[in-house]
Amino acid sequence: MRERLEELRREALAIVAEAGEEARLREVEVRFLGRNGEITGLLRQLGSLPADQRPAAGREANLVKAALQEALDQRRDQLQQASLARELRGEGFDPTLPGPPPPAGALHPLSQVQRRLEDLFSSMGFLVADGPEVEWESYNFDALNIPPDHPAREAQDTIFVRAPQATAEASAAAESDGKADGVVLRSHTSTVQIRALKKHGPPLRVVAPGRVFRQEAQDATHEHTFHQMEGLVVDRGVGVAHMLHAMNSLLEGLFGRKLETRLRPGFFPFVEPGFELDARCPFCDSGCRVCKGSTWIELMPGGLVHPNVLEACDVDPEVYSGYAFGLGLSRVVMLSYGIDDIRWLLSGDLRFLRQFPS
Amino acid sequence: MKISLNWVGEFVDLDDQDPAQVAELLSLHTAEVEGLEVFGDNLREVVVGEVVECGRHPQADKLSVTRVAFGAGETVQVVCGAPNVRQGLKVAFAPVGTVLPGGLKLKKAKLRGELSMGMICSAQELELSEDHQGILELQPEAKVGQPLIEHLALADPVLELDNKSLTHRPDLWGHYGFARELAAILQRPLKPLPVLADWPEAQSEIPIHLLDPEGCPLYLGLPVELGGRPSPSPEWLQRRLLAVGQRPLSDIVDLTNFVLLELGQPTHAFDLDRLSGPEIQVRAAEEGEVLTTLDGQPRSLQAQDLVIADGSGGVALAGVMGGGETEVGDSTERILLESAVFHPVRIRRTSKRLALRTEASSRFEKSLDPALAEQALQRFAYLLAKVRPQARLMAAPAKTGQAAAPQRRLQLEPAKTSALLGLPLQAEEMLRPLQALGFQTEAKDESRQAYWVEVPSWRATKDVTLDIDLVEEVGRLAGYHRIEAVPLRAPVEAPWKDPVRNLARRLCDRMAGTHHGFESQAYSFLDQRWAKRLNLPLEAFARLQNPVQEGVDLVRRDPIPSLLEQVPANLLENERGLLFECAKGYQPGNGPLPEERIWFGAVAWSPKSKTEDGPESMFGRMRSLTEDLLRCAPLDDWQVQTGLPSKQDALQAPWAHPSQSLCWHSSPKTKDAGRILAVSAMLDPQLREELSLENVAVGLFLLDLAALTQLCEGRLPRFESPARFPAIKVDVALALPVTVAYDQVEKALREAGGKLLEDLRLFDIFQGASLGEGIRSLAFHATLRSASKTLSEKDEQKFLKRVEAAAQRLGGNLRSC
Repeated sequence: MRERLEELRREALAIVAEAGEEARLREVEVRFLGRNGEITGLLRQLGSLPADQRPAAGREANLVKAALQEALDQRRDQLQQASLARELRGEGFDPTLPGPPPPAGALHPLSQVQRRLEDLFSSMGFLVADGPEVEWESYNFDALNIPPDHPAREAQDTIFVRAPQATAEASAAAESDGKADGVVLRSHTSTVQIRALKKHGPPLRVVAPGRVFRQEAQDATHEHTFHQMEGLVVDRGVGVAHMLHAMNSLLEGLFGRKLETRLRPGFFPFVEPGFELDARCPFCDSGCRVCKGSTWIELMPGGLVHPNVLEACDVDPEVYSGYAFGLGLSRVVMLSYGIDDIRWLLSGDLRFLRQFPS
Repeated sequence: MKISLNWVGEFVDLDDQDPAQVAELLSLHTAEVEGLEVFGDNLREVVVGEVVECGRHPQADKLSVTRVAFGAGETVQVVCGAPNVRQGLKVAFAPVGTVLPGGLKLKKAKLRGELSMGMICSAQELELSEDHQGILELQPEAKVGQPLIEHLALADPVLELDNKSLTHRPDLWGHYGFARELAAILQRPLKPLPVLADWPEAQSEIPIHLLDPEGCPLYLGLPVELGGRPSPSPEWLQRRLLAVGQRPLSDIVDLTNFVLLELGQPTHAFDLDRLSGPEIQVRAAEEGEVLTTLDGQPRSLQAQDLVIADGSGGVALAGVMGGGETEVGDSTERILLESAVFHPVRIRRTSKRLALRTEASSRFEKSLDPALAEQALQRFAYLLAKVRPQARLMAAPAKTGQAAAPQRRLQLEPAKTSALLGLPLQAEEMLRPLQALGFQTEAKDESRQAYWVEVPSWRATKDVTLDIDLVEEVGRLAGYHRIEAVPLRAPVEAPWKDPVRNLARRLCDRMAGTHHGFESQAYSFLDQRWAKRLNLPLEAFARLQNPVQEGVDLVRRDPIPSLLEQVPANLLENERGLLFECAKGYQPGNGPLPEERIWFGAVAWSPKSKTEDGPESMFGRMRSLTEDLLRCAPLDDWQVQTGLPSKQDALQAPWAHPSQSLCWHSSPKTKDAGRILAVSAMLDPQLREELSLENVAVGLFLLDLAALTQLCEGRLPRFESPARFPAIKVDVALALPVTVAYDQVEKALREAGGKLLEDLRLFDIFQGASLGEGIRSLAFHATLRSASKTLSEKDEQKFLKRVEAAAQRLGGNLRSC
């Protein structure tokens, strides 16, 4: 029995010394010390030994068992240390392997820019309004001081909606009364000036982003459907300096820094005086393609709300004044992201939409 | 429009002004300058040369071989074909290497064997005039070697103005108007326009009948005897025209163009001897009347058009273009020069309808100052005397009718003006520039709080009509660029937020963020074919009168069709995708204005999966998406039904598969019970084929945002405290005839679970030979939990028993798990 014990001891210790991984140690533990292990088996045979040999054999067997257990623990410890050291050295770990393809999904760049501006103006007390895209001709024009026979009213610019059969006769009758009101796809978000003023009345601060439509052939820089954002403030004592401040804030929100700006004359029938706002080109210092070398880019028309417009909305121009401005959202989106063809915006093309993670 | 600064400089001193600076001043104070080019710049390399030798070409009769000195070292040999080349002549010489205005680069050449080292140029080759009779002869004292543009004082800075920024300024359609602006901006005197002081005593007797006084309230006809046939204009006049891109023709025509470009008033010269009568009638056209304009086009007219007629018929389309028959030509000896006032709107309608925009029509439509009609003739007469001394005014013009700009007296309040503009200006600083522009000002009373301002005729026709228009004048002359931004100080309240927009925004975020969809924007118009595809009559759509593209005249009712149109192109590179859009839809309503709805719609596509229904399928995915968005609304209670919406529902889904579709209605417990909220579906099979989408699974859903907002506004999800007792998880599988729908099974299981059933999740659907024909197995994870105790095995057994009973009721049995 002693020899057998010694044999087992040597064999087990040799395996432990050579074991390169913990699993191997586990095997040894099971094989020799487990419930049905070989050393355990020997111990179980103690009872069959003569009584006088039992204590010594038992002691020896227990010594072997303890030695083996210690060797196992030691080796396990070594292996764990080595493995930790390997892990810390980064062995066998390639941090340059890629992760799984990231889940996609994004808001449209138009929405992203629009939201940024909506939030900015909200924080300055503007409400965000919305008007119908299919609109009364009179709201799109007359109320905005664009009388009949103004060039902007011509069919080449505006898309008209047919009168439905049922009302065609009624409107023909109205036309002969001179009260006809047609229906158009709004050609600018300025219609919201009328809607918002009629609904909320002064004092009022509102921005109105949305789709507008023009009868226009498409190419890289022209679209029949595009987006604008209108701003309108009507209150007592509102003047050009306040408009300029709002415009500057808008540009700062858009480009993330203050840009030098300047106002110059511009003509729009629904404002008087009317302006164009130029900003120092945010893309260059000394002239580039975007600013056509001038270092200024024309960004936003605006003006003081024309008294005729206030009157059309039952606001007394003797008491209230206001300003309005319009931002070409589509254009600003194109400028901001360097989009070279406006037709991408409404293409629904994933190759386009994927490029603006939100 | 092109404005020559040399020309403007005749009326206001610009000698010390850099042209770029002038351009900037005009942009800042008047109208947008889009470009600045120096006329003559393309002649930089052409110099004054002298023909020092001139002999016959040995091989060609019509060619001469010359030697030309041009100030650069040696003389060079040049072959010249002009008849007027001769020794000693000073010429415009283009040495080898010169790029001529046409773009031609001169090279060393051999002409019939003789070397030619440059070109002696004609005026036409230099694009200086139409004259190609021979080479340009320069004055004998011209300095050899001097650049030609310097010698001829040709260089002329020319501004390109944005016409759109001039639409409201009838006074800026000629050079004199810009001189007036610059005089006011630079605070310099404006020189008066030299005109003929006195008309001849005799009055023209050519009868003029104004038969349409609304269309033409004033007409002047000046008869002129030319004293010979028309001849080319003098160089200075040609140069003015060329600089602004106008081709010189003959002195009479050039003069009318010159006056138009200077004053903005169009005039028209008739060949007097070709006018039948001679007499002039200005009348409305007869419906269908045909007039051949001088471009040779027969024009079919309508009753609103204005016609100038002589004794025998129409001779000009008033205010737009003259007629061919009475045009001034080479043989013209006497003219009748027309200068008139025409109704702006009628001119514009005619010119627009005929797509015939001319220099004349684009001016008449701006409401020109009526006083210009006579001034233009006076200016013409003055210039005629200089250009064509042999010509003679036959009489003073016959002036028929009356027209004058309205007298307008407006009020300027300096304090108010200053405040509106945000420019601290003294009254004097406001009045001075106004006066420079021709406004008369006068203090209203001694307090000088307000001034009367009389508007000059050239601004009074429509541009300056209200007090606020004076604020504009004051502001722009002072310079808007001087205005400094000031924040508006006023009480601020939290602005009203549109709940529909808020919900839309949240749902967009959810779709993009959680469901990895891409927000799209699709066109609002649909091809007419969509009506048929959707089985809808055309009357179900709002339709466009003048669509951008023929036949694409339907306004979309909801975003699904236009989103579907975006799928095929995407399929080329993306085998799966999810696009969504929050969009407005329209359909005919009770009045002329169509009814508007706000929708949230989505389209998804992917390769076909093994099963068409169930959790793995596109159909199932659309259902989950829809219900997730409803929960975000937040809604926790609804009725879901299979099939299409009913006819009464406010949401119609003509694109949906009739049997692979689901509708959600508000729960009977809510205030708006039974209102349709959403539909999700697979694409209708017919549409699938029409759009060539047979090989992919296309799923759709549409939510009514307004309905959802009304139902959920102000709602928040309710928190439920998690139970403290542990749950038991039990898996059960039921083998049932396939005819038993899932929802029956789920209902039965929920009943079996009662209050204890916390969660029930389908995890496997299996059908196979082992189960027998027509049998399918549905396997569930069930979670049982009690709020008051720890459940025991007994509870589990009880549940299983009930499930077994339920399975049997449904015609199947509980499988062992």
